[in-house]
Amino acid sequence: MGATFVVTLREAFEASLILGIVYTYLEKIGARDSYRYVTWGGALGLMLSVGMGIGVGYLSGPLLDFGPDLVSLVVIFAAVVLLTWHAWWMQQHARGIRGHLRHQVEEARASERFWMVGLIAFTGVFREGAETVLFLWGIMAQAASTNGWGSLLGGVIGVVTAAALGWAIFHGGRQLSLSKFFSVTTVFITLLAAGLFSTGIGRLQGLGFLPMGEPVWDTSFVLSDRTVVGSFLTGLVGYRARPSMLEAVAYFAYLVMAAVLLWGRKPRAGDRARSESPSA
Amino acid sequence: MNLFRSVVMGLMVVGASALGAVPAGAQAEIPLTIENNRFQPEEIRVKANRPFVLVITNKDKAPEEFESHDLRVEKVIPAGKTIRVKVNGLKPGTYGFEGEYHAKTAKGRIVAE
Repeated sequence: MGATFVVTLREAFEASLILGIVYTYLEKIGARDSYRYVTWGGALGLMLSVGMGIGVGYLSGPLLDFGPDLVSLVVIFAAVVLLTWHAWWMQQHARGIRGHLRHQVEEARASERFWMVGLIAFTGVFREGAETVLFLWGIMAQAASTNGWGSLLGGVIGVVTAAALGWAIFHGGRQLSLSKFFSVTTVFITLLAAGLFSTGIGRLQGLGFLPMGEPVWDTSFVLSDRTVVGSFLTGLVGYRARPSMLEAVAYFAYLVMAAVLLWGRKPRAGDRARSESPSA
Repeated sequence: MNLFRSVVMGLMVVGASALGAVPAGAQAEIPLTIENNRFQPEEIRVKANRPFVLVITNKDKAPEEFESHDLRVEKVIPAGKTIRVKVNGLKPGTYGFEGEYHAKTAKGRIVAE
């Protein structure tokens, strides 16, 4: 029971964290009536996860060998782009925030950028969603034999606990001051996206698109990423006990790029959103 | 940009090795079976620096996820299905893998020498 609890908690944790943050974000900028974007995004992610969990059983051959990998690569890199964009946008908000909040929200609404928040919720849920669905399905299939019911219960409690954590973040985030919430989540999202980016590069290595090479360092004697704490840190800030050179480079290169993008330019006196200057 | 350059260089290295050193179709296939939430065999010995293909069959009634942190591979294998995992040449060493859905029992390793 304990083992399955940890697995589903870990799989669902990132999703609930992201949902907690984007809901709080909408609440913070006074756009509560736009919750539906997040709710729909999350629900769509869940439905597609179930669909993929069922669908994968009908695949075979190269489609089964590579299909799920390609989907997860696309989701990972899409999530990186969306999270970066979101962080950048929050940063723009934070700059012009004092006294101009209402104006900002209206601007957001006018430019209809809330769909992006919905997409973030979607990728957040869908990324590990199919895995979680398959895992729970598997325990159910084996529940009748062995000590399956306890495992199933553990798995379900894991998902529920993750959801509760997401809700706690939502609740706690509301208490924070607006600027504090923005700066905390910007840093947090940046680390999360850096970890995701490096995960994506690692997957490309695993698929043979990029060369693997030796680990740059090995801290698995201090904290292995297979332990519970280690794997949570992997999800949260991209911790790696034995990263390859490319993974490490990807992680730090992303951080540098994000820092330049987010904190590189001094805020101007006016709070008008600047035209998006080329940053590539 | 730093990353871009290493990505391009990486692709070139992969392309070169795919064209050159290894003749197509020469990759050894290594069968690996999942049964009763265990791998069979639990230890696989391969020659270092030679690419190979793991052919993993899940004989259980539940899906399993073949996961290897060391190889950066995460693949779901539905009940009764077989998947193929290409592995590029490995440096000498031990590479662990596990069935994430039954990590207590489903454990194994690849030894490259």
